[in-house]
Amino acid sequence: MRSNKLGWILLAPTLLILFFFGVLPFVYVVFVSFHQWNPFAASPEMIFNGADNFRRIVFDSAFLNSLGVTVAFVLFAVISEVIIGYMLAQAFMREFPGKAFFRTIHTLPLIMAPIIVGSVWKLMTTPSIGIIPHYLDKWFGISMNIGTSAPAAFFTIVVMDIWHWTPLVTLTLIAALVSLPRDPFEQAQIDGANKRQIFWHITLPMIAPALIATVFIRLMDALRTVDEVWMLTGGGPGSSTRFLGVHIFKEVFPKTNYGYGSTISVIVLYLTIVVCWLLYVSMLAPRNNRKG
Amino acid sequence: MANVKIENVVKRYSNVQVMHGVDVDIEDGEFVVLVGPSGCGKSTLLRMLAGLEEISDGTISIGGRVVNDVIPKDRDIAMVFQSYALYPHKTVFDNIGFPLKMAKQPDSVIKEKVTKAAEVLDLDHLLDRYPKQLSGGQRQRVAMGRAIVRDPQVFLFDEPLSNLDAKLRVTMRVEIKELHQRLGTTIVYVTHDQIEAMTMADKIVVMRDGRVEQIGSPLDLYDHPKNVFVAGFIGSPSMNFVHGTIAVKDGKKVFLSDHGLELPVPENNARTNQAVTYGIRPEHIQVGDQGVPMKVVVVEPTGSETQVFAKSGPELIDALVKDRISAKPGSELCYMIDPANVHLFDRETEQRI
Ligand SMILES: Nc1ncnc2c1ncn2[C@@H]1O[C@H](COP(=O)(O)OP(=O)(O)OP(=O)(O)O)[C@@H](O)[C@H]1O
Ligand SMILES: [Mg+2]
Repeated sequence: MRSNKLGWILLAPTLLILFFFGVLPFVYVVFVSFHQWNPFAASPEMIFNGADNFRRIVFDSAFLNSLGVTVAFVLFAVISEVIIGYMLAQAFMREFPGKAFFRTIHTLPLIMAPIIVGSVWKLMTTPSIGIIPHYLDKWFGISMNIGTSAPAAFFTIVVMDIWHWTPLVTLTLIAALVSLPRDPFEQAQIDGANKRQIFWHITLPMIAPALIATVFIRLMDALRTVDEVWMLTGGGPGSSTRFLGVHIFKEVFPKTNYGYGSTISVIVLYLTIVVCWLLYVSMLAPRNNRKG
Repeated sequence: MANVKIENVVKRYSNVQVMHGVDVDIEDGEFVVLVGPSGCGKSTLLRMLAGLEEISDGTISIGGRVVNDVIPKDRDIAMVFQSYALYPHKTVFDNIGFPLKMAKQPDSVIKEKVTKAAEVLDLDHLLDRYPKQLSGGQRQRVAMGRAIVRDPQVFLFDEPLSNLDAKLRVTMRVEIKELHQRLGTTIVYVTHDQIEAMTMADKIVVMRDGRVEQIGSPLDLYDHPKNVFVAGFIGSPSMNFVHGTIAVKDGKKVFLSDHGLELPVPENNARTNQAVTYGIRPEHIQVGDQGVPMKVVVVEPTGSETQVFAKSGPELIDALVKDRISAKPGSELCYMIDPANVHLFDRETEQRI
């Protein structure tokens, strides 16, 4: 029991910080989400309006549009990142000249702030000055204008996100692959499994925990992407890339609609939790209650 | 079923060479046991047969086909790893059934074969468990099960019974022999256990430091070891060795140890004064009231037999006696040696004379 007390004392600073910077703001956001609050308007006081904000959100076409765009973005980006990340991780498991060098530079996008990534990609994609539209036009005769074409804007953001975050997936999967025991793979070869079967029956189940953790991290991050998109398209053209994060931002800051903005945040958090939970259950549960 | 030919096989790891030209011929359906001290390359040789380890030089053929560049999956072999190599995320049932599943066997067949193997291996109550919930011996039996549900060209076993208790080991030994007789599949089997080697093998391959020292039937190796190493390695307890020279006494050749002990020798063509190593198995020393005297140092009764360590002059001698003897340390006994049971080796070359 003495060590238990010591444990709490040692944990106390962390818990305090967590409380003041995590729990308290969260509770406050939930609190605000039940109010109408426009602190910079003529009547800045907080007015309790029950579930009105939540009722409004269900019929808010701008929000529903954001939700759809965000889900599409998350699906495209995270699935691509996991697949490309896994292939890169496998490539880095092999020996090739300059491996250490490539492994180092491939992580460089990770250390760039999202806002910088956004501005660099804006430079690269702006029609007439950007390198990407230039070569797309020169080599393939494709004209790309993220300012006017919704698909161009959307997929540019997807590609940008893949470029930015795939290294994270690669790194965690390398760590998972390196720590795998070698025996089961040799045994599987002996047992007559081909490469595809080894992947599905041995590799995937054995890296599943790391893979799921990575997918969670990417999912949560992708669901609240703001900075790069804000920098690159500002949510346009129209509202075609107005992701949830961007939507909340526009709701809260230009319109100073704090109450409704908080409501959207709470809903987004709730959806994130639901998605992660579904994923967790579908990927981990089958192997805990399977019968032979 | 297939014969296996290992020809002049060499294995190098970057700059260390661990296998120096190994030749073994294995007939179709033969039960071959590999023995040798730890680190001599038994597992490495098995892994090369399985295709898990590249062959640096030489050739290996299975069923007349050179398999140097054939991947493990296409060699049609079953293997039990020294480390079990179970699939940690699969149940015992799925572990054993995995090779069948990969061979696209119908579920009913898988179920039947796995259930049968589990019965044989006494694993039927553990089929739903995961490897981490099993004891070492149980894991080893799962690994064994995964091999015996198949009907491959060659079985490779790397110390498959090392972690079992004595009783289970005997049962499994019989089980493996029975499997061999039933399927007639070629088996290559690594073991440290003398009894396993002697009782199961059609042919024993004795290895040392990546070389084959001798190949022969169990009794052949026991009766005619080619050199001091094989003589000492085969047989348990291991052979007594005494250093000395060949002398002539009354017109007959005798052995004279460096410490002056005189022992009888069989007909041989050793030169007089040739430096030799004299070998005699503990079970071939007849302990009784007559012959050369010796002073008992330690007595180790095992129930069925008694092992006696005694000093004959300055030489320490290890004798195995079938009957109970009541000798106490310090007491005097006598022993006789039948020259026919004596093995003589040249001391320089360590080869049999
Ligand atoms: N990857 C490797 N790199 C370098 N040397 C190796 C490697 N693997 C094995 N060896 C060496 O090869 C030799 C043979 O090893 P092996 O595992 O075949 O021995 P073994 O006869 O099976 O021994 P044991 O009875 O202890 O299982 C050993 O000296 C070992 O150190
Ligand atoms: Mg070994």
